[in-house]
Amino acid sequence: MTYWRAVDPFPLQSADHTKLAEFYARLGQGRLSTTRCAGCGRLAWPPRAFCGDCCADRFEWVDLSGEGAIQAFTVQETGLPAGFPGPRVFAIVAVDGLRIFTVILNGEAGRVAVGQRVRLRPLRVADGPTGEPRWLPAFAPA
Amino acid sequence: MSASRGVALVGAGVCKFGVRRASFRELIWEAGKACFDAVPGLRPRDLEGLVVGSVLPERTAFQSHIASLAAEALGIRPSALSARTEHMCASGTVGIRYAYAFIAAGLADLVMVLGVEKLNQPSGEEAILNMGTGVDREWEAAFGLTAPPCFALAAQRHMMRYGTTEEQLALVGVKNHTHAARNPNAHFQKGATLDQVLCSRMISSPLRLFMCSPITDGAAAVVLASAERARDLTDRPVWIRGTGQALDGFQLSSLPDDLARWPALERAAQAAYRMAGVGPRDVDVAEVHDCFAIAELIAYEELGFCDQGEAGPFIAARRSDDGGDVVVNPRGGLIGCGHPLGATGVAQAAEIFLQLRGQAGPRQVPDAAIGLTHNNSGMGEHVVMIYGREPA
Ligand SMILES: [Zn+2]
Repeated sequence: MTYWRAVDPFPLQSADHTKLAEFYARLGQGRLSTTRCAGCGRLAWPPRAFCGDCCADRFEWVDLSGEGAIQAFTVQETGLPAGFPGPRVFAIVAVDGLRIFTVILNGEAGRVAVGQRVRLRPLRVADGPTGEPRWLPAFAPA
Repeated sequence: MSASRGVALVGAGVCKFGVRRASFRELIWEAGKACFDAVPGLRPRDLEGLVVGSVLPERTAFQSHIASLAAEALGIRPSALSARTEHMCASGTVGIRYAYAFIAAGLADLVMVLGVEKLNQPSGEEAILNMGTGVDREWEAAFGLTAPPCFALAAQRHMMRYGTTEEQLALVGVKNHTHAARNPNAHFQKGATLDQVLCSRMISSPLRLFMCSPITDGAAAVVLASAERARDLTDRPVWIRGTGQALDGFQLSSLPDDLARWPALERAAQAAYRMAGVGPRDVDVAEVHDCFAIAELIAYEELGFCDQGEAGPFIAARRSDDGGDVVVNPRGGLIGCGHPLGATGVAQAAEIFLQLRGQAGPRQVPDAAIGLTHNNSGMGEHVVMIYGREPA
């Protein structure tokens, strides 16, 4: 009997699985977007289909600029989970007044600093269960 | 808010922490046995309830339904309360709060709280992957995020804002590894020098290996009793004086902008102090959640042991060490003793139980009368308990 791992570390992104599929569809086109609550107008990050402030479950999609500045970062050298090679730069990036947790690609070799301008660089990860491409909102130095 | 009935710890036991050659069930047996041995006259069938804190048994031991498993393994037949608590690293203390509330409300008189975690299986490689289940899968863990970088971000912020140094962070590792050397149940028992900590390998800047808690297997148990039953069972009960829990957020981007401040911890501590009728200066011994060195430093500030931004100088002046204002983590903390998630909060309570009874052996804090535990799940969720040699 072979050893079988039942782990999918990436979210299911298609419309079959989530109301937020539009986010991933736009991300695949190089656009960063999020939801604006149709009840109270609050811009959320991450996108959400239910508003924790006014309880509305109606929302509209809004494109963000896709460019921002690093607020905080750390470089993890070792101890990363299986399948995630290091070093890895984790950061919180300010984009259009939102704070976005992300990774900085091509951020090694001293190019990362607080205040550094970064731009969206969608990261393609393993395909979904039915072969659809999947993306995460990563950033790279602008 | 005051409880209707007094509640006390009457017994505690822990097993050897480390990378253990023992099954999930065997860890339960070891901690349960140690706890029952500490309370002569108490038999498993006397207990009316069992709460089990455990986080990852589904992914590690491939087992759920663990409260019933543990009850059967220990011979407990719950008649009033049987439950599992899962609240990541704070699961154990959340379990103690459940048992406390049940007893205070008159729904039970005798309840065991047991925490257990068998993290180092099926493989070391998967152990770290499993730890990522504690952060938001869709928006954080999918990037490979686990705990070290989260706390590293707080450390960077604390250093930038208050001038906290790498050496001050390292002193947490030195103190807690040194303390662990006098705890035979600790994961590590060799101590550590400042040079060793500062030269250990970088995990996530600025946190080095000896500033981080390891991946540990272990279990711990305590027994809570109503005042009347407590006095039947022991002449030295340890009273629960106060408790508080608060949450600021789950995702990193939901936390307050300034990651060097943990307002939820301050609120949890204030609630516990108010209920206990004591303040930070009354605390003789504290077990705080040093999953990473920065967590212990921020805890000093939010618990009121020192002013905001002063944690670095506070540890450097040895004010949190033997002979200081408050002895923090005498058993070695999570860094020295290890961090078997669900067992951690229960092991903290077990240590305070021993300390307030004067039974902590070589690590005894002289004449400890008020003890505190602080257990967190990430940076935004905190639980504080205050214990006393005397009832409130
Ligand atoms: Zn709303």
